[in-house]
Amino acid sequence: MEKIKLEFDRIHAEIGKFYDKKTWHFMTLNGVALDENTLEVQWLFAKYESGEIVALYTVVDYGQTLPDISDIIPSAVISQREMVDMFGINVQSSEKGLYLDGDSKDHPLRKERS
Amino acid sequence: MFKLKNFRKRSLWILHYNAGSCNGCDIEILACLGPTYDLERFGVLNRGNPKQSDMLLITGPVTYRSRERVVELFTQMPEPKVVVAVGSCTCTGGVFSGMYNVEDGVDKYIPVDVYIPGCAATPEYIIDGVLKGLELLEHKSKEIVKPKKLFKKLSFHKDHIDRRGIAGKVGENDGKD
Amino acid sequence: MSTTTKAVDMQIPLGAQHISLLEPVKFTFTTQNEKIVDVGSDVGFVHRGVEHACSSKFEFKQVGFVVARICGLCAITHSMCYTAGVEKLLDAQVTQKAKYLRTLLIELDRIHSHMLCLSHTCENAGFEAMFMSLMGDREPVMGLQEAITGNRVQFDYITIGGVTREFDAQTAQKIIQVLGQTQKKIEGYIEEFQNNWSLSKKFEGIGALSPEGAYEYNAIGPLARACGLQVDVRNGLDYLPYKEVGFTTITQTGGDIHARNMVRLYEILNSIKMCRNIVEGLPEGEIQTKVRGKPQGEVITRLEAPRGELMYYLKGENKKVLDRVRIKTPTFATIPAMIEIFKGQDYADAPAILASFDPCLSCTAK
Ligand code: SF4
Repeated sequence: MEKIKLEFDRIHAEIGKFYDKKTWHFMTLNGVALDENTLEVQWLFAKYESGEIVALYTVVDYGQTLPDISDIIPSAVISQREMVDMFGINVQSSEKGLYLDGDSKDHPLRKERS
Repeated sequence: MFKLKNFRKRSLWILHYNAGSCNGCDIEILACLGPTYDLERFGVLNRGNPKQSDMLLITGPVTYRSRERVVELFTQMPEPKVVVAVGSCTCTGGVFSGMYNVEDGVDKYIPVDVYIPGCAATPEYIIDGVLKGLELLEHKSKEIVKPKKLFKKLSFHKDHIDRRGIAGKVGENDGKD
Repeated sequence: MSTTTKAVDMQIPLGAQHISLLEPVKFTFTTQNEKIVDVGSDVGFVHRGVEHACSSKFEFKQVGFVVARICGLCAITHSMCYTAGVEKLLDAQVTQKAKYLRTLLIELDRIHSHMLCLSHTCENAGFEAMFMSLMGDREPVMGLQEAITGNRVQFDYITIGGVTREFDAQTAQKIIQVLGQTQKKIEGYIEEFQNNWSLSKKFEGIGALSPEGAYEYNAIGPLARACGLQVDVRNGLDYLPYKEVGFTTITQTGGDIHARNMVRLYEILNSIKMCRNIVEGLPEGEIQTKVRGKPQGEVITRLEAPRGELMYYLKGENKKVLDRVRIKTPTFATIPAMIEIFKGQDYADAPAILASFDPCLSCTAK
């Protein structure tokens, strides 16, 4: 697995440059809570032929708003909604409520202070 | 004399609902309805209509979002009715117990008559359980059975539970505790 | 009197509880004169919170059995994919025999899952007899799984370091015999699916996806292979011996329900061939190796589940409990493509189209 770091304000542009729909298969959007405040966000791609995996990633805190990349990759919509639910981070034009209900636990996958 | 009871015994219609299970028990229920185990030889038919069903076969530990549906389906079924919980996770929460989005077991919401253990419950067990439920059905009266939770107050229309009124209210978030 | 007709949008819900659905999912179809113009979906009915539990409540040795309970149909693929990831983190070696046995079970699981999907598609298209017949022919395969692992659905067969049981010569014989039977049956079904006139009316040209659409929406599994895309993770997998046992990628053209059915049928034949090769060429050796240590680092593993690519991302920090378990399930990734396919189809075909995706909602919502 190869990891490439993206600048936060260039995410949309970089992914647009990187993604070619016949070469790369977009797997999913992944979040890894690093500590209570920061989150590593990974866009995971696999090459169709060789199966080589590339993770474009960036580190954000929960106050920031991730850009919506569904104009480049339409199937990212659902992963983005999942991110909103699981980590309580804002993603442009994605709302809460894919999985969680009003009285469910909020952002269950965030790290809690121990 | 014309006795409806006798007929019901030989033509049990079931309603199957998945309240958050892993599908394991659901495919075993499907296998029961298939030719090898052939539950249909007892007159059991799977009809997806709560208003015509006598038995609710329910799987899964009840996730938050399926709570209303479970209770709604239960109230929509006419009495007498039996509820059969299929699978360990339906009975107690099983492997899912304690996860943040599940309630441990359906009997928190509706009264359960038969518990079928096993993860996944085998077709033999399911057949046994359904037949046990059939036995129980004979002794049930037409008295209205209330679900245990979710609605603070059941609304009544004259002496009957006002099913339409309740169905209209589902989702209004009343009394989820 | 004016005779202008206004196009009226009608909203028709399908689900959460519906006879054609095994699982709760809710689609809201907006239709204009029978044609579906828009689809809304609610897939969160089965969300339980497995990812959270895997990284808080359960130790890494237990997680393999927990993730199997995400989905009863592809339970073994879930535990395999997870176990492969942990073994990579622990740098564990698995014997060749254990690898073969794992592959055998995964392929048996694929056979029965595909047969269930086919029968379900037939049922939703109104062909009850075919449903019954396919369900009947599926039972011997379930019997095999029970004979090998001791359980029909949730096997708990794969553990970190190997597998839990092996089978004797008598069972091997039975496997070969049942596989032969099933193969004959499947060949018969291929005839039937190709030539039956009423089935062709229900399946051909319905619910089609173009290859461009498949790339655009990142379709995977049988859905993509029915459009002619060569996407199968089993190609070039390093932790299971797929090359040795005779795996070939099956593709079709057309992208409609018929093509998806055909992909599934031919894949069953391929799986039967692989299973036979495995049983006949099973290497000697132990089935379990001792594994020590705690997982450390990040890893991504992929495996082809019956419905498409399954992906696990694991991160361990040298503790008993993993730091993060991310599960990407096949149906979750195909939902955007599904919604696209529904648009422009007749509402009456919706249940059959839905069944032909073989959606697994308990995977989707975890
Ligand atoms: S009891 Fe086990 S097999 Fe059955 S639905 Fe629950 S988790 Fe799945």
